[in-house]
Amino acid sequence: MTDAGKNSRGVVERSLASFVDALEHAFYAEESAKKNGLLQKLDPRIKIAAVFPLIVIAALARRLGVIVALFATAVVLALLSRVPLATLAKRVWLGVLIFTGFISFPALFLTPGVAIYTLPLLGWSVTEQGLRAAMNLIMRAETAATFSVLLVLCTPWSFVLKALRVLRLPIVLVVILGMTYRYIFLFLRNAHDMFMSRKSRLVGHLDGREQRRAATASAGVLMSKTIQLSGDVYLAMRSRGFQGEVYVLDEFQTHWFDWAMLAVFISIALLAFWFGR
Amino acid sequence: MHIPDGYLSASTCALLYGTAIPFWYTAFARVKRLLNTRLIPLLAVASTFCFVIMMFNLPLPGGTTGHAVGVGAVTVVLGPWASMVSVSIALLIQAVFFGDGGITTFGANCFNMAIVGSLVAHFTYRAVAARTAIASSRRVVAAGLAGYAAINVAAMLAACELGIQPLLFKDASGAPLYAPYALHIAIPAMMLGHLTFAGLADLFVAGGVVAYLQRTNPALLGQKSAGGATKDASPAEASGWRTTRPLWIRLALLMLLTPLGILAAGTAWGEWGAKDFSDPLMRQQIAAASGQVAPPSEPPRGLARLSSLWSAPFPQYAPPFVRHPAFGYVMSAMFGCGLILGFFLLVGWMIGERSAVGDRTST
Amino acid sequence: MTAPIFEVRDATYRYHEVTALDGLNLTVMPGQRIVLLGANGSGKSTLLSMLDGLCFPEKGSVTFQGEPLTEDRLSGQVEFDFRRRVALVFQNPDVQLFNPTVFDEVAFGPLQLRWTKEQIRLRVSEILEQLEIAHLKDRSPHHLSTGEKKRVALASVLILDPEVLLLDEPTAALDPKSESQMIDFLVSCSGGRKTVVTATHDLDLVEDIADYCHVFQRGCIVAAGTPSEILNDHELLLSTNLIHAHRHAHAQGEVHSHPHRHGHKH
Repeated sequence: MTDAGKNSRGVVERSLASFVDALEHAFYAEESAKKNGLLQKLDPRIKIAAVFPLIVIAALARRLGVIVALFATAVVLALLSRVPLATLAKRVWLGVLIFTGFISFPALFLTPGVAIYTLPLLGWSVTEQGLRAAMNLIMRAETAATFSVLLVLCTPWSFVLKALRVLRLPIVLVVILGMTYRYIFLFLRNAHDMFMSRKSRLVGHLDGREQRRAATASAGVLMSKTIQLSGDVYLAMRSRGFQGEVYVLDEFQTHWFDWAMLAVFISIALLAFWFGR
Repeated sequence: MHIPDGYLSASTCALLYGTAIPFWYTAFARVKRLLNTRLIPLLAVASTFCFVIMMFNLPLPGGTTGHAVGVGAVTVVLGPWASMVSVSIALLIQAVFFGDGGITTFGANCFNMAIVGSLVAHFTYRAVAARTAIASSRRVVAAGLAGYAAINVAAMLAACELGIQPLLFKDASGAPLYAPYALHIAIPAMMLGHLTFAGLADLFVAGGVVAYLQRTNPALLGQKSAGGATKDASPAEASGWRTTRPLWIRLALLMLLTPLGILAAGTAWGEWGAKDFSDPLMRQQIAAASGQVAPPSEPPRGLARLSSLWSAPFPQYAPPFVRHPAFGYVMSAMFGCGLILGFFLLVGWMIGERSAVGDRTST
Repeated sequence: MTAPIFEVRDATYRYHEVTALDGLNLTVMPGQRIVLLGANGSGKSTLLSMLDGLCFPEKGSVTFQGEPLTEDRLSGQVEFDFRRRVALVFQNPDVQLFNPTVFDEVAFGPLQLRWTKEQIRLRVSEILEQLEIAHLKDRSPHHLSTGEKKRVALASVLILDPEVLLLDEPTAALDPKSESQMIDFLVSCSGGRKTVVTATHDLDLVEDIADYCHVFQRGCIVAAGTPSEILNDHELLLSTNLIHAHRHAHAQGEVHSHPHRHGHKH
């Protein structure tokens, strides 16, 4: 690859990287779900009912202290469910920190209030209120994301779908959700293969206009391929007897342990709610 | 412009969920009728498409993220209601599975991108493409504009939702509790990124998709067969506006009646009775709710007269949660939704009438 | 004289301006093992879809056990019965695998047909054992190798014990070991009860699994006969693109070209 090709190569490689990352993420979800930890043992319906309020409260609580306490709870939960903290750090904490940190960085200076530190050269002051605002935002995002990702890492996706149906969510939602999940990885693999073949055929440097044309043509081809695929999949479903209704083998059974853990989680949620008002 | 958890307050989230729910209900009811047709896998494919497109996001300092959504392309092919379902599902997977976009803010994200985005794209496309031939280049332009408009309106909504947070929700020391950037920062931050990069990306995606389908699969764009049989109807038509009219007339009426719910709750802001002005406890409440401005010592004369005519129906029988401000927000949201839907009903009917006339005069 | 199980009369089908089937005639007797032989694009897949009631001819007719297969007739209970008795394994397994785990995939068909939970669990385990994929029960289909995917696809249709098995390129893209496993299976599964129609361009399969062949070209059947008749007709095979003649080198270093095919010969 020549130096001139670096520009187009950069974008392509970053796209490939994010594709592969998504695939890995999904694959990982199945692995963690098989370990013998706390979250894995719970009935999926109980899990959703238990963790969901914690996410909501973490996102909405008004006291920083409460949010940090909930974050600590999430970390404990991760440990009890044998999810390595290093993985959480790589997958969630770092990303959110960079992301939300980047977004909230200007808030340090822009929020009106009591100045606590002034940058030497630029004369910009960091206000106490700005610092609190940034901390609020970052801790909330980290805590909520940690809980969500834990929930997903420790539950096989098929169980999530079944739990949704059992919780009486509309059939259309569950059918399309399940199929979309399936197709995301198929689509990504197609796109990945397409980009790989395009990359290997790329000799030299495409100018801006050609790049855009290539990009929109690719989008069109991908769309067309996936439309074709959807037609075939529908035929395959009809061929196996699908006539519109979806039936699921309900295998969920709750034990005393599930209810005990639910009680624990609800108590934590209530405490957090009380102190975080 | 995914808004993650923690950027919006409880009441904002509740409000936006409340607004999204009637649209979701209608969209799912509509799509359910198509359940045993080839459109269901197509919806899943469209969700996939949006998901992949939304993966490429850049953080915008002062806002959230900038990225294309693909809602323009999906609306043009599938129609607004199916598009709402598809894009919402893509957002759901991103939020739950990939931690991109929050769970408390899911209602807000869907409202901005899936619901309003689809509606804006739909009307823009119809307005620009009108009744030109399927293969005309005007359709490509229309699709591009639809995508561009949808994304920018969605970004504007997101910017407003974020921008009012620091104004309304601060802790005791004045530090913003949720999103820290006021409107004058949030709006330029979001709009700049979307009017340029993200908007152009959506423009090219939508236009490119339509151009490609014109060449390879025009049936998907809506060839009207002679008999108008539903079998040959394009996906957009099958889930589109015309055939669902009774459904959303009913829905709009329902939502316009929601103020009755607010009235049943009794004392909300602005609904104080005349005697509240002399009761010291109530005066404190009024002051607190009005930004610490003390109410006048006597009720305004007009209010005194009116309040004897009008009193809230059953304040003491309303359940306690009904008095909570959040409930009031949700009700107002639904009422607002009803207004919006009613407006679109009217516009859609008017456009329909005009183009029907156009048909008759042109043939 | 037994009645044919499938009768295709003068079927024509066009798709996006391409004529996939052009006035095709075909009769399939119950218990026959038939191979539809033809290069890619010759119309075999379309015919299989038609036999499975997934697409319908614009002109002509298709009947299953004397009853016509039309879109209107094929709905509700009639469709349920038909789907249980006729099964199609698609060429691309990814198309056919849309459930979250292998177990769910194999259980999908019975679930649609409303079997009881116990029946389903029992039969799924049996079938998985039979196809040697029991260890993949809880895996997601999209992480499997092509050979494993094809076996899952096969399991998901065999569980319904169909009378007719339609197979579209069952050995395509398989490595030698998987391919031989597949062939073993295909050879064993037709004990006279099942009718098996296989579409392929792989000549090696023909000798092992077919009683009778039909050769396809451009939407028509250009020849029919027993496997040995067809395989020895080199001109036919060449003209229908089933074998090729390109330049290659033999061990002695001599470079020439003559009709041949890759793969084993015995």
